[in-house]
Order: sequence, then C-alpha cells, then structure tokens
Amino acid sequence: MSETYAAGGQEQTTAGKVILVVSSSLAAVLVIAGLIYAMGTGQRHLAALAAAGCEPGLSPSGLQCTTAQMLTSQYMAIMAPASQQLNADVAAYTASERHHLAAAKAALTAEVAAEQALDTSLAGIQFPPAIAPIAKALVRADQARARLTAEQARSSSLTQLRSFSHRVQVASAAVQTEMKLILTALDSPPTAG
Amino acid sequence: MATRTGDRWTAEEPVADNRRLADDTQPRRRAKSRMDEWMEVEFKFGGSKIKRKAPALILLGLPGLVPLFFMLPALITLNSSTFAGSVDDTLGTGAELNLLLCLLVTPMVTLTGQRWFVPLRRWYGIMMAASAIGDATAAGITDNFVGGVFGRLAGHTFTLAGFLMVMLVVPLLLTSNPWAQRKLGRYWKRLQRITYAIWALLAVHLMLLEGFGFERGDNGSGFAGDGDPIFHQRLYQYSACSLFLLVLRLPPVRSWIAARQREGRNWLVWVTIVPLFALFLFGLIFIVNEEIFKGVDSLLERPSAE
Repeated sequence: MSETYAAGGQEQTTAGKVILVVSSSLAAVLVIAGLIYAMGTGQRHLAALAAAGCEPGLSPSGLQCTTAQMLTSQYMAIMAPASQQLNADVAAYTASERHHLAAAKAALTAEVAAEQALDTSLAGIQFPPAIAPIAKALVRADQARARLTAEQARSSSLTQLRSFSHRVQVASAAVQTEMKLILTALDSPPTAG
Repeated sequence: MATRTGDRWTAEEPVADNRRLADDTQPRRRAKSRMDEWMEVEFKFGGSKIKRKAPALILLGLPGLVPLFFMLPALITLNSSTFAGSVDDTLGTGAELNLLLCLLVTPMVTLTGQRWFVPLRRWYGIMMAASAIGDATAAGITDNFVGGVFGRLAGHTFTLAGFLMVMLVVPLLLTSNPWAQRKLGRYWKRLQRITYAIWALLAVHLMLLEGFGFERGDNGSGFAGDGDPIFHQRLYQYSACSLFLLVLRLPPVRSWIAARQREGRNWLVWVTIVPLFALFLFGLIFIVNEEIFKGVDSLLERPSAE
C-alpha cells in the first residue's frame, strides 16, 4: 500500500518537474524575446510618432509628443459624457419650462454645473498651437452660455424664465459652431513641429 | 487589517489545502519558518507593543489602496468626465492588479515556506472587490452604451464578462470576515474558490476586449505613444502574470517543490522558477505602468483615454 502510494508520489513529482521545465523554458523564451523587442523601443516610438503626426512637448503624461489620435481621444473622453449630461439637463428643462418653475430652475442649475465642469476639463487639455485658439473660443462661448443659463436660473417666474430662450439658443449655437470647428481641426492631422 | 485574523485565516487557505499533495508536505507547511518567528516578535511603538509583521503588512498592503486613491478627487468633485474617461483603466486595471497580488500570496508561501504575509491575500481580495465594484458602478452611470444601466453594464460581451466578475466578487466580499468564515465552516473555503472563476472570467473579459492580436498602424489593441503595442496589450500582460501563478498552483509542481525543499535543494527550485517569475514581473510592470499613467491623469482630473 505504502509502496503504491510512494510510486504515485514519485510520478507526481516527475510530472511536476516536466511541467516546471516546460513552462519555465517557455517563459525564458518569452522573456528573451521581450527583451530583444524592447531594444527596438526607441526606433518604434519615433516611427509611431512620425506615422501619427505629433506636436512635441505637449503631452501631459510625460511622452515626447501628443499624437493626433491621443488628442482626439482626450477631447472625446471629455465631450461625450458632458454632452450626454447636458442633453439630459436640457430635456429636463424642456419638460418643465411651461408649468413647473422649481423643476425648471433645478434643471438649469444642473446645466450650469455641467457646463462649468466641461470648461474646467477642456482647459486642462494642452492643445497644439493650431487648435488652441479654437479651444479657447469654445471655452469662452461655453462660459458665456453658462453665465446666461445661471442668470436664467435666477428667474422668479415662468414667463421671465422663457424670456431667455432666444438668447440661450444664440449662445448654444455659438458653442456648437466652435465644437464643429474643433472637431474639423482634430480630424485634419496636425503637422509635425 | 493584518493581525486580527492572523494564522486562522491562513489555516483556511483554499489552495494550500490540496489533499492530493503528499502528506509529508503538511507538517513542513505548518511549521513556522525563522522569518515567521522573527515577524511574530513584538516591539514597543508609542507606548504599545506591536508585532514586527504589522508595519510590514501595512507597507505591503498600501499599494492595494492606490487605485481608489487615484479616483478620489473625481469622486469628491463628482467629475463625470473623469469617471467616463478613465475609470475603466484606473479602477479596472487596479482591480486586475489587486487580483494578481491576491493570487501571488499562495505561490510565495509555496516558495518561501513563510506565512506571515498571508493576511495580504484577504486585503488584496477586498481591495480587488472595492475597485471592481467601483468600476462597475461608475461604468453603469457614465458609460455611453445604450440600453440604460443594464445596457451599460452588460450590453456588450466584454462588459457582460466584467459584470459577471463583479457579481461573483460580491459574495466573496460579503464573506471575507471571520464571522462569515465561522458560520460557513467548510463551505467557506469552497465559496472562496470563486476567486478562480473570477480569474478565468478576467481572461474572457480581456480576450473580448483586446482580442488576440496587437496594434498595427491604427488598428488593434495595445495603443501606446511609446511604440510598444505588444507590451501594452492587456491580454498578453495578464497571460504573462498568470503563467507563474497557475503553474505554482499545480499539485505535481508543488509536490516537486516540496520534495526539493525536503532535500535542502531550495536553490534548484529558485533556479527553475526564475524565468517564470521574470515573465510575471515583465507583465506586472506594464500593468503597473498603465495604472500609474492613467491613475495620475485621473488624480489630476485630466482623463486620458488613449
């Protein structure tokens, strides 16, 4: 009985040795391949930057440059949720602007908060010189809209509230125009500088 | 965190309790190593006595908190754009890191024969659960996928795998305390084996998210400004780490290691596992790199989505 048990243990030990040797050999090959691959990092980095087009010294994360792809990702990561939030706030305002002053004012206050958060986030992106003025114009337009919306939120009646509608539409159109401009600028690859 | 449950927790270790292992490996595992004895020695600190292992465990456990720390400013300011832009990378990668560190404890016990750091397994498990639940909660609120909260959480195959992982994490988190351990008795250990299902589901999640290839030109996974798409492919990172963690859990391998340790040839064990451990570190370094890169951006509320 004990011999059988010992034989089983021996077999298991041998199997363990085989598994370890095979997996360790595989790991050694992968590590060596990884190290060889890592030696070409510098050249690949330059090639990747040349292919993507870049603006040197702009990356907030310590890279040598920000590629157009990175910039677009950064911009969209901010705009997509902000637009979603603003659309929800506008919908909430539209639903209550004719019959519920408190709810409409609450929706406008939320809209102001979302607009201000968007401005702060946009100001944090370091755009290349070609796009920076458009981004600043977008932030300015959005700040103007936020100020107007805040003023609208202080209305004391539904009539007064709705009297802002046209001015808000004009301010929103200005924001939309700047957004289109910035997207167009992001779509066209910046020249290396 | 560390000393309250102490050795009782280690006695319930699910993996170390493999019955197929030779019986003669058991007394060795239970015997305290010299390092364990050294760690049990108390010293005076601020008028009270604490064990040496307490500060060591706190220091080793601190990295587990880092993912949550990175997201703290965005949580305080309720910055939805930071959550939408980088919570997946910061808390998702953080949960992966905590899972890997949690799974690392058992192989380290096998290799070193020391047990003083075993409480870290529970700590990293709890931090993994906190990061994963935080990730799912933020994704459920801020993602752009259609279909409401459920659509955002499970509307795609890769998010469904992630959602299942979070669902499995919940019972583990709820039972990760001495009271639940007492009440569940022998079933507690079986329940804790759900960790392996989460480990496997993470592979599925990453396969569906990243695919098997890597970035070429503008296509594929592993985008990085440093020109190293292979190193930034998450499935590759996960696989590199998992090979070591898996192999060191296999009963035949553990038997072989125990046999060499009995013979006093521990050096042979170390020489054999060095390539596996190097590969583990190789993968881990790039996961940590990802966590720091995205985490710092989250901390500064300047989310990067690359």
